[in-house]
Amino acid sequence: MNRRVVITSEAAITPIGDSKNTIAKNLQNGVSGVKPLRKDDLLGSHIHSGVYGTVDYPIEYDFARKYRKTMGPVSYYACKVVWDLLAKAGLNQDFISSGRLGVAFGSIHGSPSVQRNIYRTFFQDDPAQSEKISAVDYLKSMVHTTAVNITKMFNITGRVISSSTACTTSSQSIGYGYEMVKYGMQDAMICGGADEYDTTTVAVFDNLLACSTAYNNRPHLTPRPFDADRDGLVVGEGAGAVLLEEYEFARNRGANIIGEVIGFSCNNNGGDLILPNLEGICQTIRIGLQSAGISPETVDFVSAHATATKMGDVIESQAIEQIYGNCTPVTAFKSYMGHTMAACGVIETILTLYMMEKGFIVPTLNLDHIDPRCEGVNHVRELTRAPIKTAAVENFAFGGVNTNLIIKAFLP
Amino acid sequence: MTREELQTEVYKIFREQFEIENPGPDEDLKDMHGFDSIDAIELLIELEKILDVSLNQETKKDAMLHIRTVNQICDYVQELMPRQVPSNQNAV
Repeated sequence: MNRRVVITSEAAITPIGDSKNTIAKNLQNGVSGVKPLRKDDLLGSHIHSGVYGTVDYPIEYDFARKYRKTMGPVSYYACKVVWDLLAKAGLNQDFISSGRLGVAFGSIHGSPSVQRNIYRTFFQDDPAQSEKISAVDYLKSMVHTTAVNITKMFNITGRVISSSTACTTSSQSIGYGYEMVKYGMQDAMICGGADEYDTTTVAVFDNLLACSTAYNNRPHLTPRPFDADRDGLVVGEGAGAVLLEEYEFARNRGANIIGEVIGFSCNNNGGDLILPNLEGICQTIRIGLQSAGISPETVDFVSAHATATKMGDVIESQAIEQIYGNCTPVTAFKSYMGHTMAACGVIETILTLYMMEKGFIVPTLNLDHIDPRCEGVNHVRELTRAPIKTAAVENFAFGGVNTNLIIKAFLP
Repeated sequence: MTREELQTEVYKIFREQFEIENPGPDEDLKDMHGFDSIDAIELLIELEKILDVSLNQETKKDAMLHIRTVNQICDYVQELMPRQVPSNQNAV
């Protein structure tokens, strides 16, 4: 079985907006969603990096208590994007609960804010205090909390996949969801990822010397993917979801098809868990293209993972140059919002779909002086009117996990 | 605490903690209001606070089998109260 898989709905919460119009407008106007790191009672004041890709606009949640009671902040994000996605999708409830719709959704570590409260209580070493750990704290904080809160809220009974592979979490969600539909295990999959505001993630990357620290007083000037003056990544928050459907099923029900997934690859570097690996990245790009049955020349846009770390951007540039040469336009979306962690793959896929639909390509923000070691590719430097027919979305994660998604503008 | 006072407290918990408004005293809370096992555990914690008692785990497990209506909750709490100890002492 080898079925076509189309994308029929999307929704996102990002540091630059939560609607297609707002996000597209902010992309076109070069608006950054990076803000000062919020004050909290944790390590915030001790972390060197003082910037964060921040969702600072109000979000209205209309969730009944029976759903809220098992949700940490990360599941609020996850359920909200799926709520919006299903509202646009027009699927009927019989199908949603038929067992033929599954969920592939993850976060990098459940809900850290709920986990923090558990540990705070736990380490008080007082038996009376331990009773204060709520019966639902595990349900709120477990690694697959997003996926199962989604299934509960919408009464979804199909397969559940909950990847938690750091920066490739949601690109894996889309890829594995794609394979579920392509090979007939499911007729549709809700795929995505989410991560909540969390300073512990910043602290971890800060201690690895991977975070941006030189722009704390000018947050919008960082991250600076591929720029000579880049100084590291900016952690961010957000969520995104796409609905994948088998083509005939989507067509028969009159779904609004906004794109097609035609290829996916995932591999591992097979060694170091942190350092980027040129061979591994080149291999995942090649396998993704092979999976789609296309040559590199067919790809007319590359969404780079490009976190703005010193070595990561250099290795990715070399990989893109090796596979695509220096003609294919390359943009680093993280320059607009920082690194939304588990959500980055799906958000970058959605932004690519917006550009496909509206026929434009945005530049990488803050790319003032290209690092000579990153010069071998066609960096997009200004807003360009250009059609995208086929795009590659690259993501790479700690642990040596690499993914490459190939998406295509829909043609019947 | 009188039965009436206890019932008032239970209704207050349902209203404020569980967003369930004035369930009938003999209505099945699970079937009619979606009050599940997680809610039951949370309810017992709330009752411990109000009554200033500490329920041991066996008592809680037993309670889970008997609290399907508001009246049953009140019956059970009234039955338990003399057997429990203040929360500043070890639970039995």
